[in-house]
Amino acid sequence: MRIIVHTAKCQGHARCWAQAPGIFKLDDEGSILPGDIEVAEAEQLLAFRAARSCPERALEVDHAPAAQVELDAVQPTARQV
Amino acid sequence: MAPNPVPDHVPPEMVRDFSLFTSPGMLPTPNGDPHAAVACVHEGPPIFYSPYNTRDGQGTWVITRAKDQRRVLQDAETFSSHRSIFASALGENWPMIPLELDPPAHGVFRSLLSPLLSPKRVLVLEPAVRERAIALIQRIVASGTSCDVMKDFAVPFTVSIFLSFLGLPDHRLDTFVAWGKDLLHGDDEKRQVAARTIVAFIDELAAVRRKEPADDFMTFVVQAKVEGRPLTHEQVRGVGVLLFVAGADTVAAALGFDLAYLARNLKEQEWLRTEPDRIAPAAEELLRAYPTVQIIRVAKKDIDFEGAPIRKGDYVSCATMIANRDPTEFERPNTIDLARQENRHAAFGYGPHRCLGSHLARREIVIGLEEWLSRIPAFRIKESTAPIAHGGHLFGIENLILDWS
Ligand code: HEM
Ligand code: SF4
Repeated sequence: MRIIVHTAKCQGHARCWAQAPGIFKLDDEGSILPGDIEVAEAEQLLAFRAARSCPERALEVDHAPAAQVELDAVQPTARQV
Repeated sequence: MAPNPVPDHVPPEMVRDFSLFTSPGMLPTPNGDPHAAVACVHEGPPIFYSPYNTRDGQGTWVITRAKDQRRVLQDAETFSSHRSIFASALGENWPMIPLELDPPAHGVFRSLLSPLLSPKRVLVLEPAVRERAIALIQRIVASGTSCDVMKDFAVPFTVSIFLSFLGLPDHRLDTFVAWGKDLLHGDDEKRQVAARTIVAFIDELAAVRRKEPADDFMTFVVQAKVEGRPLTHEQVRGVGVLLFVAGADTVAAALGFDLAYLARNLKEQEWLRTEPDRIAPAAEELLRAYPTVQIIRVAKKDIDFEGAPIRKGDYVSCATMIANRDPTEFERPNTIDLARQENRHAAFGYGPHRCLGSHLARREIVIGLEEWLSRIPAFRIKESTAPIAHGGHLFGIENLILDWS
């Protein structure tokens, strides 16, 4: 799974970092560092939830097909926007 | 006060008799629940016109969907923050900074101040926050089995954190609490006096720090340079006043609403007490359910917005308490679920003006609840008392007497 980071939309709420500081890195002002994030398989659910906590919708989840099936099974309601 | 006449360009069918200041449940109400009262707007249209929706009786458009509020708040080109609310109460015209600036000036000041309130910086402030919470709660425990939460805990806690952030000792605490009270709740005359006192105080502190620098926020501000030049006196004042206005009562109100909820829901109270890891996500849900700020913008140009003819100069209200009860955004929005996940609530706003103090505010709330729950046994609203909640520009709660005898 990959997280597409829309840096221009980030306003530094840091909700992603609060849930998964190992995955989402912030600069000194508290905004997310630019660059898409490749997520290791073991961290996918955590990263998914953290990305979906972004109030500005700056983090887009790009599912690999296999991961999608798995996440649907874990969290059936999580996909409605 | 009679509402202002509805402007001609507002279609009569878009006017609704609803206001965050005067509708049922918005004026101070014993055992009131202004947040639940506001949620009724979701039965209606996405946008309507409220003829009386500010303290001084102005009309505003009211945006009810979270998605549309994001559109307004993320578009500072169309929807301006330039209002000089504080200064205009004094018959003056200077912005609180960065709150009342628009881009590009806004971004310059915001970048200057962000590192001082960043998530990492807040980690450094945390031990002092915890110490204050513990000291106040220990005093409450030592003096009996009941207290007035706002007076004895929430307000002195948050004002004292503001003072130490500015670089001031605690012995001015009572003076500041009194100013804050007059500013928010006093009549027009008291508000003016309080506003003048706060301005004079910030000006004086800035002057002192210019002469005698210290390791504190005010020193940082008077020494800072923006585009190669130091801040003007008016800019320093704009920053200092905003911190006072934005940073203390907001957090105090959040703590008040949280403790009122827990006092009425003993099972959940006990659940958080025995599993303190649950407090941080629970505090998010309580920020969703009981946010306090009504955000207002001014249209910079004519725009048709979801069928509403917004004209240049119109006020547009994005009330966080309305966004946070939007059923298209939150499942069962009127149910409080302390374990709610992916809680993208709007308590701190959206877009470029997103609350700069949100990281500090969150830690103050969580630490305040942690220390309260670990030191005070099962508490409820004291018998034959009733907390008084109100709506307005900043929702609040008073007379919250808790009892654990
Ligand atoms: C629970 C407590 C708090 C709530 C609910 C809250 C809410 C908000 C909201 C909704 C805004 C956006 C206003 C707008 O868009 O016009 C805002 C802005 C702001 N808040 Fe907070 N706030 C809280 C605590 C704090 C604290 C503790 C501080 C300071 C230490 C603070 C400092 C600021 C500043 C500086 C801004 C202006 C940011 C800008 O314009 O770029 N706030 N706050
Ligand atoms: S949650 Fe969104 S807005 Fe916040 S830091 Fe992460 S990416 Fe930026």
